Amino acid sequence: MRLPDQVTGLFLVGLGAAAAYGGWLLPPVPGQPVGPNIFPLVIGSGLALCGLAIALGIGHTFEEEEEIIPLEAGQARPPTGKLYGLRALLPPALLLFYVAAADRLGFIITAALIVYVTSSALGARWKLSLPLAVMAPIVIHLIFSKLLRVPLPAGLLPMPW
Amino acid sequence: MLNTLIEAFALISTWEVIVAMLAASVYGLVIGSLPGLSATMATALLVPVTFYLSPIAAIATIVAASTMAIFSGDIPGALLRIPGTPASAAYADEAYAMTRKGEAELALGAGVWFSAVGGIAGTLSLMILAPPLAEIALSFSTFEYFWLAFLGLMCATLVARSSPVKAIAGMFIGLLVACIGIENPGGVPRFTFGMTDLFGGIEPIPALVGVFAVAQVMRAMLTPEPPPIPKRKFGSIMAGQWRLTKKYRWQMTRGNIIGIIIGVLPGAGADMAAWVSYAMSKRFSKEPEKFGTGHVEGLVEAGASNNASIASGWVPSLLFGIPGDTIAAIAIGVLYMKGLNPGPTLFTEKASSMYAIYLMFIIANIIMIPLGIVMIRLASYVLRAPRSSVMPFIMLCCAVGSFAIGNNMFGVVTVAAFGIIGYVMEANGYPVAAMVLGIVMGTMIEQSFVTSLIKSDGSVLPFFERPISAILAALAIGALIWPVLVWGWRRLKAISPAAAPH
Repeated sequence: MRLPDQVTGLFLVGLGAAAAYGGWLLPPVPGQPVGPNIFPLVIGSGLALCGLAIALGIGHTFEEEEEIIPLEAGQARPPTGKLYGLRALLPPALLLFYVAAADRLGFIITAALIVYVTSSALGARWKLSLPLAVMAPIVIHLIFSKLLRVPLPAGLLPMPW
Repeated sequence: MLNTLIEAFALISTWEVIVAMLAASVYGLVIGSLPGLSATMATALLVPVTFYLSPIAAIATIVAASTMAIFSGDIPGALLRIPGTPASAAYADEAYAMTRKGEAELALGAGVWFSAVGGIAGTLSLMILAPPLAEIALSFSTFEYFWLAFLGLMCATLVARSSPVKAIAGMFIGLLVACIGIENPGGVPRFTFGMTDLFGGIEPIPALVGVFAVAQVMRAMLTPEPPPIPKRKFGSIMAGQWRLTKKYRWQMTRGNIIGIIIGVLPGAGADMAAWVSYAMSKRFSKEPEKFGTGHVEGLVEAGASNNASIASGWVPSLLFGIPGDTIAAIAIGVLYMKGLNPGPTLFTEKASSMYAIYLMFIIANIIMIPLGIVMIRLASYVLRAPRSSVMPFIMLCCAVGSFAIGNNMFGVVTVAAFGIIGYVMEANGYPVAAMVLGIVMGTMIEQSFVTSLIKSDGSVLPFFERPISAILAALAIGALIWPVLVWGWRRLKAISPAAAPH
């Protein structure tokens, strides 16, 4: 996900400008010269300036080149491809899945699915990921629900405790 | 004084505190030793748990876990050349070279011993520095607080090992995140886009968990699994440490002092302390040619340094609510949650709690020695746990922990969103630590800024009129201008040799 500095820089210019404009629209505190508007105005302008500087390549020389650790013998070379990079989005997607499904399916089932998918995606065989998917949710449920009394959704499969 | 000390002892000698501290120590040791799981992440994932503990027990877990994790990051550094936490990255090569020379015991022993010494030195600095600074801080007005917070943010950007412009941008992004919500001078919904969930603003803790934990799982998805650790038997771990202490007492002291200074500086934490101390050790060593070939000197100095910075990082946190590093940023969140709001009055009104914190730091550093030795001996087993069995637990802790903070699902959404933000920023060279400090300090810096402006009737001059405020302002603006000067100077140097032949 390494984007050119021009792209991230210009994005920040846009973000900063939008924030400054959004701040400028806010009403000041009655009878005072300043209010909730001033801070976003300052921050947004600063961010836009920084974005401009980044897009122009200022400060690039300070960055350290990424260290590439040579692969040792026998270590698998990571596959590269367009879709491979999308794997990084799996963890946040699973968290959003938790938000969407936990109330209906309950904690145990949702968590088991998350564990199974995460573990398989990191290369575990089913012999590891399946027992893990059964055990991990129960352990976490014990700690958080029993010990710390976090109200975890029971859903379809309530725990006996 | 004596009464307060006795009170403090009474505060920490409850079963809850003792059990919490031991459990957090083991947790910190394990998480810190697993490559890719940093001390900050260990601490962030602990916050939801602290929610349900008494104030002192809550702080005990943070103190114990962070102290242990910073040491325990040395273990995979020495055995696998993969630092367990960024704070060990500076000397992982050196420690691994020692292991290859057959001196793994000496390297790991130095890690645990000099970490403990450094931690205690850092605690002493906290005990000595904080109360007199609190006296001074009592006379601070919003102008001083504004510049202090600004200076803190600037320090965070200066020490980032990346482009300072990107670090400043990261800081601004964090401040912008802090703008969200209705907690602003006018009490109007700001940047909430009509979503009621955003009215309360973005909680710093889910943001931290996202940036440090979820982003790490995301990176793990794309990087190959580190090689398994070879099984080995260890000899005596503490043998020879006293000899090293005597031989390298100056290096150790220098490491302690550098660590303390870097810890006190807002925004710069253990990893920076280790880098600076290792470089310094090499620079002033009598035998610099041995560095990199498995020489223990740099390990002594950097190990003494990174743990010293952990305790001293609490100085600005307790006094001003300005975090000394990302771990202290989490600690501040816990302090607020527990009614121990940071500020100079904490040292007079809640003196016994402060002493309890000092005591816990000292105890944590002492029990680190036996626990650390056990951990080193068990490391071959713990480090064999494949990533595919550790990361799922991290995922569940992220989901449940962020939910537990406010008992609402929006926390989980925040974690996911900040996971992506943290991942993208890190991948493009934007230091996330700067953003985190921006989020944590945003409300405070805005309040002091706007209150100051209202007091001065919109004029900027009073910001520079009070003596301390003027000094702080000069420092902060200097820190802002500094990268520009360096850049300009490098540009001039780059042009002149090219122009010379003509």
